[in-house]
Amino acid sequence: MQNKSNNPFLKVSTPAKRQETAFFWLFRIATYIIIAAAGYIFFDIAYKGVGVIFQLKAPFVNVPFLTEWPETLDIFKLPANQDMKMEVSQYARMTYENPKVNFVEKGTLEMVIFKSPEGVMKKVLPEQKEAFDADPISHGWSVLSERAVMQVFQLKEVSEIKIGNTLYRSLVDDNEGVPPLEHKTQVYAAGGIYPAIVGTVLLVVGSMIIALTLGVLCATYLSEYSRSGPIINFIRLSIMNLAGVPSIVFGMWGYAMFVLLFGWNVSLMAGWFTLAFMVLPIVITGSEESLRAVPQGFREGSLALGASKWQTIYKNVLPYALPGILTSSIMGIARIAGETAAIMFTASFVVRDELPWQVKHAGEFFFNGVMALPYHIFVVSARVPQNVYTEKSSMARHSSSWSSF
Amino acid sequence: MPETLEIKRLDQRPMTESLLSKNKVKFLGLGSDEIIKYFFSGSAWTAIIVLALITFSLFREGAGFFPQHHDSLKLYRLAGLEFVDYFRDQMTAQASLSRYLNELKLNKTLKLQAAGKGEAEIESLLAPLEQLRLDFDQAGLEGQALLDEMTSMAAGIKDRYTISEENRISRKQLIDAGMKEEADLLEIEDIDFAKEAENLKTTFLPKQKEVSATMAAKMKSLLAATKVENTIYEAEVNRFKATVSKYITGFDSVQMKMQDWTHDKPVPFYESITKFITGTKWVTQSFWQDWYGIVPLFIGSLTVSIVALIVAVPLGVGAAIYINQVASIQEQNFVKPFIEFVAVIPSVVLGFFGIAVLGEGIRVFTQWDMMAWVPGFPIAERLNIITAGLLLALMAVPSIFTFSEDALNNVPKAYKEASFSLGANRLQTISRIMVPASLSGIISAILLGFGRVIGETMVVLLVAGNRLEIPDFSAGLMVIFQPVHTMTGLVAQEIPEVVKGSLQYRALFVLAIALFLISLLINYVAQIFVRKYKISVG
Amino acid sequence: MSNAPTAIEVENVDFYYGNSKALHDISLKIPKGLVTAFIGPSGCGKSTLLRCFNRMNDLIDGTSVKSGKIKIHGVDIYSKEVDVIELRKRVGMVFQKSNPFPKSIYENIVYGLRLQGINDKKMLDEVVEKSLRGAALWDEVKDRLDDYATGLSGGQMQRLCIARAIAVEPEIILMDEPCSALDPIATMKVEELIDELKKKYTIVIVTHNMQQAGRCSDFTAFYYLGKLIEFDRTEKIFTNPSKQQTEDYITGRFG
Repeated sequence: MQNKSNNPFLKVSTPAKRQETAFFWLFRIATYIIIAAAGYIFFDIAYKGVGVIFQLKAPFVNVPFLTEWPETLDIFKLPANQDMKMEVSQYARMTYENPKVNFVEKGTLEMVIFKSPEGVMKKVLPEQKEAFDADPISHGWSVLSERAVMQVFQLKEVSEIKIGNTLYRSLVDDNEGVPPLEHKTQVYAAGGIYPAIVGTVLLVVGSMIIALTLGVLCATYLSEYSRSGPIINFIRLSIMNLAGVPSIVFGMWGYAMFVLLFGWNVSLMAGWFTLAFMVLPIVITGSEESLRAVPQGFREGSLALGASKWQTIYKNVLPYALPGILTSSIMGIARIAGETAAIMFTASFVVRDELPWQVKHAGEFFFNGVMALPYHIFVVSARVPQNVYTEKSSMARHSSSWSSF
Repeated sequence: MPETLEIKRLDQRPMTESLLSKNKVKFLGLGSDEIIKYFFSGSAWTAIIVLALITFSLFREGAGFFPQHHDSLKLYRLAGLEFVDYFRDQMTAQASLSRYLNELKLNKTLKLQAAGKGEAEIESLLAPLEQLRLDFDQAGLEGQALLDEMTSMAAGIKDRYTISEENRISRKQLIDAGMKEEADLLEIEDIDFAKEAENLKTTFLPKQKEVSATMAAKMKSLLAATKVENTIYEAEVNRFKATVSKYITGFDSVQMKMQDWTHDKPVPFYESITKFITGTKWVTQSFWQDWYGIVPLFIGSLTVSIVALIVAVPLGVGAAIYINQVASIQEQNFVKPFIEFVAVIPSVVLGFFGIAVLGEGIRVFTQWDMMAWVPGFPIAERLNIITAGLLLALMAVPSIFTFSEDALNNVPKAYKEASFSLGANRLQTISRIMVPASLSGIISAILLGFGRVIGETMVVLLVAGNRLEIPDFSAGLMVIFQPVHTMTGLVAQEIPEVVKGSLQYRALFVLAIALFLISLLINYVAQIFVRKYKISVG
Repeated sequence: MSNAPTAIEVENVDFYYGNSKALHDISLKIPKGLVTAFIGPSGCGKSTLLRCFNRMNDLIDGTSVKSGKIKIHGVDIYSKEVDVIELRKRVGMVFQKSNPFPKSIYENIVYGLRLQGINDKKMLDEVVEKSLRGAALWDEVKDRLDDYATGLSGGQMQRLCIARAIAVEPEIILMDEPCSALDPIATMKVEELIDELKKKYTIVIVTHNMQQAGRCSDFTAFYYLGKLIEFDRTEKIFTNPSKQQTEDYITGRFG
């Protein structure tokens, strides 16, 4: 029988132990602060984004949001008790020329809302009273898409609007007798993000093809052919340094070299090359790791059977490294898909009315800019504070830019 | 000795012959394997070539900055803008003193309101202060008018010069194109800067002297007339009085400077460089004079990065130690991929989150009643250093965490085991063995995190507030609630609107060069640490 | 020493890893059609020398044969005219750690032939059966030739590697401690196989196991610290070595 106090290995609480526990708790808290902060962001974006992309009714996905162009809304504050009337001929012509646009009347014609049949405008249909009331629209604001306003009122720009026989202008300084019209524009507050999705996919595919080709070649050389030496060290140093170059510097480089010096203008090509060289270090490092993970025995075994170096690499190394190369390049894809600074002067347009392949000559496909999700988010964000639309749609844009990884 | 059986082989040649049958296919004296090897080695140079091309392109566009900047500074002096600015400084100081009085009044009003005083009472209490403010403004009016006159004259000289220089170029182009008549239509005026400067000086020196004298006299009498004894703003006004007296004595030196000013004092070339590096103003597309001083941008980038690192380093390194040394396997398997996933959040998304959620959240937080005791709260700006810094911290954490964890992983297991076997507990092992052994790796992780945040663009462009001024460090720690502009943000903001080849365009490329060099330096130092670390572990 | 014709002739070879000398002035003649065993304590250079015979050391950075010659069938294999690929076809190798490729058993065997552009199914089938029979593996795997080679047991994998090597029909087979990772039964099978193979091929085997060297080799070379201490008929080395160091090693006084 051993007396407790005689046991030298008995667990006792000493100051050192308490200190240990305290410090471990500090480390643990640090870890979970990171988790909580990032988790909150994920949750916030997912929560708001899911509401826009998905819906409860079939087809469960907000198809217009994913298939339409972004639309700019013009919001007019109508003078009190002023009916907004449109002549029958105007309405007829409009619906005839553009069957996609129709208009909804609410109550006493106090408010007229134009909408595309499947458009985001549905949100302000009368039956959705709640959403309606939460919105400034229900307090005498009318929401019209820019295109609709111009079509209906046959205007060149939307700073003026004719209601009945009165012409209202949003700029009234030197127009005597013309009543003022409160008017504001919300850029891309409606519609969808289709062209931006298309543009981002094109940018990612093109630049990944370039980056993977160059990156795998380079990694194969470094892992299979190179012998250590000053030149190889220098190459490795360059790769590491290239990885640390800020993306805005890549953007400036792409702008100076591809856009201006080569005369490619703001274009898909310029974006492809800028992005490709930006992710090149990631692709090289990932590919080299995958190549090194192929056991040395595969190489020796193959060489010992009389395979040439290239046969060994081609038949017995690359096939086994390929899954790893592709997995690691997902990091590269994620980086490209979310990259803004490098494409804002090289590849992306704020808005483009055609799809990239709707061109007359094949060359125009390569030498025209595209819309891209991250840049679109930037354009929208730069106009915050914003209304519910912008917030929701940009949140959804994030989630869609995420789902692309 | 056993009998050797004859082998029936595919290749019937004897061994000797086949061994010597090297290089069946040759091209340019190279075997096919060698050609493949050179092909691969060629692509390995890509990284070096890209770095060289970046350097070349940036310098090609940016190198012209310093000569053009020099020209701009020369014109600043030649056209007399410098002369006018001496006086402008004097008037600017007056305006800021007046602003001080304004703020003081506002401050006191708020305090009195909080104390429950009625409007009429407040007005009567603050009447002397209000009088002082009005009179002080009044004293500056004449000077302001004179300044406007001087400004328009100097700006006129500069404009005439710029236009005639442009015409000179167009005329040359027209003549080269063979359009003589059109060329003759362009008027070219040779500006006689000496005459203009003389004119400027003779016109305005006496006037300035006179205006300054009256201003000084007015202010002195004003100060003497203002009686603020036993008021709640006595201390402040007395301080104000002292400042103004000092300000008035400065008038003489302004006059001296204007007296001594000559338009043809040479501007040394190095000033185009030193003015860029030490300049505290970044003003572009101004009708008056553009200033390209990197200091506010650099300080902006630096403060944001430092705030980010102060947050990210303890979190990142602490998490790395926790995950590597303390956490259970399940925790590791959850946390590691999670933090790596944080690294792929697009920065523009974080920026958007900053605008839409975090910035507003911080402001609301500072508006809480229970936070009112903090001086400076509630804050005015939603977009500021701390908002940007916190988001950048989240971007730096994955780098710091991953590289630190690697460094800890690379410490040989034997070190840890040896320490345990000598009776050290886990904390002692971590603090005396693991962290010191991986210290250089951790330092390089921090440096790489620093590189990541200082080069980050979208977050700071959207969230840092974009105010082109050096933050006011006299606010102490509260400086983190001020907006700043950064090098990266400025480049991204201004590039879309510049004219190619203009001074501003080149200035932006010089900024890009600076960023490029900073990032190379940080990376290089980080690698030195890594290498040292590898040696130390053996 | 022997009246058999020489397969590999090593003349005064010095071999370096970077700046450290791994082999000191080695000279020996390996007879054709016999089994030669290399023994010696770890790090004595026996594997290094073996890997020189098919120039596998070329794969390692900074290695070089600084002086001396290695001749196979009278050809200096380090001369510039020699095609390394042809050399490796003629000098097969079996590695310490069995390294079947992650392909089917069938594809493993025909790998070398496919490299030479042989895709005739009938011919390949023939070679697969012949090689597997030659490696005493046919009966065990003939029904599952399309299974992954990595699913075989350790001994089977090693015999598969031998089969793969003989499918290319080399004249010399180098074995680098082929049994070090195998259990006694598998080792016995491989040893039986070696006995069988020596009727057709010249075999050089590196081994740690002295009984193994005694059992299956005709000649034995003993290395110590990068030097060839003694090279003679196996019976002589094991019964009456002429050098004290050899005797000490064989009797287990060190090593």
